[in-house]
Amino acid sequence: MLSGAPAGHGGDTAPRILLVDDDPNQLVILAEQLRADGYQIQTARDGDEALRRLRTAWPDLLIIDMMMPRMDGLTLAREIKGQADLPIIVLSAIDAGDSKADLLEEVAEDYVTKPYHYPELRARINRVLRRLGDKVPRQSLLLGPDLTLDLHRREATVGRNAVQLTPTESRLLYALAANLGKTVTTETLLARGWADTEDADPSYVWVTMRRLRQKVELDPNRPVHLQTVRGIGYRLVSLVPLSDE
Amino acid sequence: MNDDTRATPEAAAELEPVQSRDILPEFDLANYDDDSGVGLGLSLSFRTRLTLGLIAASVLPLAGFGLVVLIAGGTAGPTGTIGRILLFAIVTAALIGVLLAYLLAADLISPLRAIAAAVDRVSAGDLSTPIVVPGEDELARLADSHNRLAATLERRNRELGRILAAIESASPRDGAEFLAGRAATDARSAFGMIDCRILLVEPNDIPTEERIPGESLPVRAILRAGDEELGVLVGHLPATRGWERADQDLLELFASEIAVAVRNAQLFARVEAQNSQLLELDAAKDDFLRGVSHNLQTPLTSIRAYAHQLSGDRPDRRLGIIAEQSERLSRMVRQLLTVTRLESGALHPRSEVVALGSRVRRAWEALAAEGVDLTLDDASNGWLAIADGDQLDQVLWALLDNAVKYGGGAPIRVEVAAEETPRRRLRMTIADAGPGVPEADRGRLFFRFTRGQNIGGDEGSGLGLYVSRELCRAMDGDLVLEPQTGQPGAAFSVYLPGEPPDEA
Repeated sequence: MLSGAPAGHGGDTAPRILLVDDDPNQLVILAEQLRADGYQIQTARDGDEALRRLRTAWPDLLIIDMMMPRMDGLTLAREIKGQADLPIIVLSAIDAGDSKADLLEEVAEDYVTKPYHYPELRARINRVLRRLGDKVPRQSLLLGPDLTLDLHRREATVGRNAVQLTPTESRLLYALAANLGKTVTTETLLARGWADTEDADPSYVWVTMRRLRQKVELDPNRPVHLQTVRGIGYRLVSLVPLSDE
Repeated sequence: MNDDTRATPEAAAELEPVQSRDILPEFDLANYDDDSGVGLGLSLSFRTRLTLGLIAASVLPLAGFGLVVLIAGGTAGPTGTIGRILLFAIVTAALIGVLLAYLLAADLISPLRAIAAAVDRVSAGDLSTPIVVPGEDELARLADSHNRLAATLERRNRELGRILAAIESASPRDGAEFLAGRAATDARSAFGMIDCRILLVEPNDIPTEERIPGESLPVRAILRAGDEELGVLVGHLPATRGWERADQDLLELFASEIAVAVRNAQLFARVEAQNSQLLELDAAKDDFLRGVSHNLQTPLTSIRAYAHQLSGDRPDRRLGIIAEQSERLSRMVRQLLTVTRLESGALHPRSEVVALGSRVRRAWEALAAEGVDLTLDDASNGWLAIADGDQLDQVLWALLDNAVKYGGGAPIRVEVAAEETPRRRLRMTIADAGPGVPEADRGRLFFRFTRGQNIGGDEGSGLGLYVSRELCRAMDGDLVLEPQTGQPGAAFSVYLPGEPPDEA
């Protein structure tokens, strides 16, 4: 696990972001916008330059354009993940409906569809950076005889069946798993799941959790893993004793 | 099994018995006299035994009769006793006669019984138990003949079983050449051939081999599927192996079954090749469209971002127009990409929770239609739709854009309502106050490249409603044009799965 290997962005240091894009216009304006919001920005014009920069210092986050000559964003993201578990946001013209989106989500923490509104991108950057605090292993998380989570693949194994999770569902589970056994407030979950939705309210969490329970609990009416703490939030419960860690 | 019923004893006797001589002695009626005089008792021929038996049965009682008369006549007095002597002699002769007849019958009946029982067994399917009739008489030969017939039937059964198994295991995925190779191996082991090949060539290209006595026996069958000749099976049998009409029929049956399997494999391979070519083309097309989309969207993103930045520094209405128009262009590019993806089945919408009311408001802001008002009547009671936000935005943009375009400047009404029946869902109706959809257009409104004819339809791609309906359906919902009521204008309703906002 190399995540967080570079000094965290906590305290007074502004988050460092490496922008990788072959389009100079895009690179310049995005760098300007991000700098104006207080981020430290470095830029790279292609994958090779990005990898060179990574040799000297690791940023807190990378923003990579999907389509670049020579090395495309997907390849670069894989290359980087092979070296260090740095969070990556991919910019692409691909939307969630595309067959390639799933591929993208496997390597990148998030992706933003072009044309994007800058505030949306900023919300996603903050969400990804915030999630750095959550320590969830990239391996499988065994929660009981009938539930295993593979959040990096957005998949849960319920009984013997593999169940696909939506990005939001896996984000919520990510936040719950980071606080295994403890109650996570509805507000926290709302922020984790819907950072880029302006007028989201707690009902988003309620409905999504109810649907999630239908997916991951053998008997959704008597949940053993996803428990409601009425009026406060939710709790992810493991039936497997935790090892001494 | 029924294929072999032709191999009745008569047929077997008619068929050319050349090869079988080495395996079992031939049942040959013309030969029976040759060894008729040889040996005694059991080694006598059937006819000899029957003749001798009949003679014995008729002569020996008479002889007994005479003997008794002579002996009794010589010892007893001439009078009074003659009657008794005669009676005694008759009884003796009769006893001898009965005894001989019984022995003769027993001698003849037992092998016949054995043969009858064996024939019953064969017809019941037991081909493996031979009849044992000692000796070499006609009945023993009949038994041998039966045994041979049973053995041939059993062998053909075995061969048939093997070739059926071979045919059943043929899968078109294996490929024609592989199937032919394996079928040749199967045929070789099933028929006990020395060698066997299946050549997928014009059968006439492979000359028919002459049969040379004493050498291995060439066999041949053409792979026929319908009228098509796909190849030929050629092989050699040991010189000692019998090859009869029924064997050839069996081989040809096998060859034609293999021909069908080979043809299926060839067709399958062709379809597979076409499929993979289509998949490649499809992937290439998707990549191309992705590239086009990317190359169009990237500059549009920059244009819009700069326009926004500039208008922040120095507000100008024209900058707003640049931003809006670039956004409109982006949406059209996106719509084209969605159409191709819908058609190739590559669109997989997500199921996330979406508040329709606020989604409508934001889509309306993004459209930035000047001089038109929107009234939103949100009666959803907080219900959330289960949909893909990105795709829903496309639907909203298309419907709101249409409402503006055809609404004639009058306010647009959007109504959101939750419905419990027939199932939990949300209805969102977008209505304009324009001239409405003419009756002639209603039927084909959702077809591709259809535009309303009533207003100078030079704007838009004609894809909006088609894409929107397909997207709604992909999200487990629907899009319908509401029937014309007394009110003016057109009303479209989007239906999506919905959930009440309860904590749970």
